[in-house]
This record gives sequence, C-alpha cells and structure tokens, in this order.
Amino acid sequence: MTAPAVDWLADLQDQAEHTVMARGVSKIYHMGDEEIPALDGVDVTIRTGEYISIMGPSGSGKTTLFNVIGALIKPTEGSVFIDEIDVAQLDANELAWLRCRKIGYIFQAYNIVKVMTALENVTLPMLFAGVPADEAQDRAVEILDRVGLGDRILHTPKELSGGQQQRVAIARAFANRPAIILADEPTANLDLKTGEDIIHLMKEMNAERGVTVVCATHDHKMLDISDRIVWMEDGQIKKIADRDEVKIEISQMSEH
Amino acid sequence: MRVASWDIGKLALRPRLVWIMALSSLKVRLHRTFLTMLTIVTSTAFMMYLFTMPRSGDLTERQSWMLMLVLSLLVCAAGVLNTMLMSVTQRYREIGTMKCLGALDSFVLLAVLTESALLGLAGALAGVGIGLVISILLGLGEHGLAFAQHLRLDGLLWKVPLVFAVGMALTTLGAAVPAAIAARMPPMDAMRGEK
Repeated sequence: MTAPAVDWLADLQDQAEHTVMARGVSKIYHMGDEEIPALDGVDVTIRTGEYISIMGPSGSGKTTLFNVIGALIKPTEGSVFIDEIDVAQLDANELAWLRCRKIGYIFQAYNIVKVMTALENVTLPMLFAGVPADEAQDRAVEILDRVGLGDRILHTPKELSGGQQQRVAIARAFANRPAIILADEPTANLDLKTGEDIIHLMKEMNAERGVTVVCATHDHKMLDISDRIVWMEDGQIKKIADRDEVKIEISQMSEH
Repeated sequence: MRVASWDIGKLALRPRLVWIMALSSLKVRLHRTFLTMLTIVTSTAFMMYLFTMPRSGDLTERQSWMLMLVLSLLVCAAGVLNTMLMSVTQRYREIGTMKCLGALDSFVLLAVLTESALLGLAGALAGVGIGLVISILLGLGEHGLAFAQHLRLDGLLWKVPLVFAVGMALTTLGAAVPAAIAARMPPMDAMRGEK
C-alpha cells in the first residue's frame, strides 16, 4: 500500500534534481519544398549542477538541440521543461525573463557589445533584470574580478584579447545567477592554451556556484572535465556517456 | 506539477537603458549620424525658406518650388530609412545578443525609434533656424534694412511648428520599418558563429 506514495516521492525528488528535460523533441526546417529534420525525437535529462557536453559533427543537430534547450527556437514537436516549467507555455515577455534570469549564454564569437566596456557588458543583463544600477555595478566588479579581469574592467573589447573577451562573456553569463549556462563552442575561436584556461574557468564556476553547464563543442579537451557527454548524429542522440566511461575510451584510444 | 524553486516573472521596460542605447549608437556612428542629420537639415531648411521667402518672387515660381520641396522631403525620408537600416543590420548580432541578455522587443523598437527621433529633433531644429536665416539674408540683399516687410513672416507661430513636425515625422517614418525589423529579430541569430 505504501508503494505508490514512495514512487511519488521518488518522482518528486527526481524532478527536483534536474534542470532541463527534453521529451520527444523534433525540429524540421523547411528549405523550399524540402523538409530537413535537424532533430528527430530527442530525449535528454540534464541534472542540476552537472557539466554536460554535447558533441557531434556539424549538421548533427547539436546547435539545434542547444537552441531548443536555450528557449531560442521552438521545437516542431515535443516539449522542453526548464525546472519543470514548459517553455512552450511562455509568452514573449516570459521568454525574455527566462533568458535574462535563468539562462546565461556564452557564444563562440564572444558577442561582447563592442561599444561598451567590460563592466558595462556585465552590468547590462542585471539592468535588464531590474537590479539597481549601484548594486549591479558592485556585482559586476566582483564577478569580473573572479574571472581574472579585475584590472581591466574599463577596457572595451578592442583592447582585450580573445581569451579576455570570452572571460567577459563568462562573467556576463553568470551575472544574473542563472540556473543554466549554455555555451556554444566557447573555445572554437581560441588557441589551445587559452581554450584550456577558459574550459577550466567554466568548470570552476560550475563547481563554485552549482550552476548547470551545457556546452556544445568539438573540443576534446572538454571531455576531461565534463560530468557527462552526449553524442549527436543525424539529429538523434547516439550515446550518453558518464565521465568514467569516457576516460576508459580515451585511454583505449591513446593505446592504439 | 511545478516543483521549481522559482516562478516565471515578467520583465519591465527600462526607459533609462533605451536612452543610453540610443545615445551610444549615435555617438559611435558619429559620421553617419552627421550626414543623415544634414539631409534632415537641408530639407527642413528648404521648407522653412519657402514659407518665409521674400515676396518678390512670382507665384508660379513658388509653386514649382513646392514640388521640389515634396521631392526633397521624400529624399530625406529615404536617407533616414537607409541610415537606420544600416544601423540595424550592422548591429544584427549585437541586438540578438541583447535579446539573449533580456532585452524585450519593445526595448529594441524604442531604442531604434529614439535614436532616429534624436536625429530628427536636432536636424529639424537646425533646419528651421537655417531656413529662416536664408530668408532673412536674401531679404536683406533684395530690400535692405526694410527686409522684414517683404518676408512672409505672418503665421510664424504655425509655420515653425509645422516645419518642425514635418521634419520629425519624416525621420520617424524612415525609422519605422528598420525599428520593426530589429525588434522582431530572433535572438538565435546572435548564436551564429561568423564574425
């Protein structure tokens, strides 16, 4: 008799432990008369606080899945839940709120607003969220200091290297204390060493702040620090591996 | 069932940020800002001049000038349209990024409209002044110090506001389409990798 209640409790607990849940997500793009399926029935659950990498060749649906999770595009079929909230039910303003408060985006090309200083870039999302200007500025200084740019807060992107710009982007993404960070190929434009630094910074921030990180990447350096890796192919999830499994595979790869 | 530790909220429009965005965009593209303002200045100055020009010119001549006025106003609107379209397309990724950071469609719309309204305001003000000055100078040249009797200075109370309003309306008209394009731009465009 007690079994159903326990199930229910377990369910509840399970729900509380994940941040993103995609169920049966498909996305079809139309090119003239042609239908191009970018995603084909994807199910994925992303646990709270984990660092998950999405890997796969270009055209595998990686970016589309990423955009769907980030509430940037609507799936043709299926649903996406962020903390149990069905993204499809939200209106334009609520979506903007979600992007502003709950999701932090990190882009391949940094996308720092060129005409603004590092400080202004990090302050911007907080101002959109309604944080008072003074408080936003204090928090921006603190977080820029955390990503190692404490002495460059008044520099504009022109005066910053690629790695430094990506640090600004990371600070900006974490500014509103989001639930998820979405990073799209964050190291693709960086050299090996700088890319490694950025990966470690993201991992540290992930551990410190307990923020879930979802990262689309080609970069095999990313495998080492990911809790789980999702492999995509032809719009489907081919495999989801835990870090331990991946480590074994890598060691096998290096043996051959 | 919702077990989220938070509830979806709503974002409010931040007028102060709209203002800052518009100003910084004008400042960054100062050359183009200046050139666009020039088209507004010349067409409103032309209009103001036609309204106040010395009476010596014969009527048919003045009528044919009215046609030119319409043409110059159209050219001005096209100039503003062009400038604002460029301003928007150049900032495609910037606008998309801001949308990812929480910019509302209405925020983007208002920022672009404010930018053009500021252009219009400055241009129309200068145009009204310059048009009047040209009339006065020509009147001085033709009639000497008694120029004031020969100028069409009657109804200045409606002429000045009318010219000013036409200048502002033209800029708003020219900016309407670019503003709508920018506001409706999907945020995912910012995600694309190209520089």
